[in-house]
Amino acid sequence: MNRILAIIILIILAFFIMQGLFTGKEHLIYGQPTPKISKLHVESGVAETGALNLVTAIYLNYRAYDTLGEAVVFFVAALGVFMLLRKDYREGTD
Amino acid sequence: MTIINGLTIGIITILIGIYGILTKRNLIKMVMCLYIMNSSVILFFISLGYRSGAQAAIVENGDQLMVDPLPQALMLTSIVIGLVITSLGLALAIKIYKEHSTINTKRLIEK
Amino acid sequence: MKQISQVVLIITRKLFPFMLLYGCYLISHGHLSPGGGFQGGVIFGSAIILLGLVEGVALTEKRFRENLLSFIKNLGMVTFIVIGFGGILAGSYFLSDWLPKGAVGTVPSAGQMLLLNLTIGFMVGTGIAVVFYRMINYGSKE
Repeated sequence: MNRILAIIILIILAFFIMQGLFTGKEHLIYGQPTPKISKLHVESGVAETGALNLVTAIYLNYRAYDTLGEAVVFFVAALGVFMLLRKDYREGTD
Repeated sequence: MTIINGLTIGIITILIGIYGILTKRNLIKMVMCLYIMNSSVILFFISLGYRSGAQAAIVENGDQLMVDPLPQALMLTSIVIGLVITSLGLALAIKIYKEHSTINTKRLIEK
Repeated sequence: MKQISQVVLIITRKLFPFMLLYGCYLISHGHLSPGGGFQGGVIFGSAIILLGLVEGVALTEKRFRENLLSFIKNLGMVTFIVIGFGGILAGSYFLSDWLPKGAVGTVPSAGQMLLLNLTIGFMVGTGIAVVFYRMINYGSKE
């Protein structure tokens, strides 16, 4: 019963995903991206940042705020594991 | 134009991940399904920037046809988040097993 | 405790410094070749994890103490934010590039990108090693 319900939900979800992505005026075609922002990055990335690896140029220069957020998430999750798995944990003391 | 490519495989695997989260009772299997969903999103976005006959996004000698570097840079963040989410979920599963000596969600609700 | 195979032990001990060196190479050349901070950091951390699995965690913890690794992780987070504020001090916005740039194609060519790669790399490597220590030491009786 549970699985049948899940499969029905997934079929509805798949229908909407396929309809949204692969039909309409600007639908996706595999192998032919329509880069609007990244064209700028590719053209002027080396001159502006000085890095040959354009992925790193975007990752650490154009979108360094994303990297800061990722570093904070990594730090907080590592602190969470650190706090959850303390060695001196005793039951009853939170 | 073939049907089987990175975009459709990514969509199918994210549906598999959602199915696993909806139906599985084991906490560790649920964490595994979370990671499957993360990997499928990565596959989808990397194939979004694919261009047939293009090189990797590293400038070596002048102008060459390159794949889209923007989704790759975004997915680098996503890989890190998937790693730490998995480790945090497993740590929570260890903790829950220590407290209740089960990781079956149905039995955890009954308690 | 069951003894591990001698071949695995010796080869891991011989290969361990080269793994660390390869991780440092990936981190420091992240803006010129494939690789980057996170990838090199993961190699750095998995070398420590491999040593811990092969040699035993107690021996590994004597060499790479958990307090030291945790301190490096925290220091990396602080350094990232300090580098970001350097952009403001130089008169521009947060996390903007404020270091002088060298010739394109050499290691100091990208300004602050090298420093950010270093902080992220060491943060990720030591963070993964610390998480591994915590997970493997949790159930054991001391």
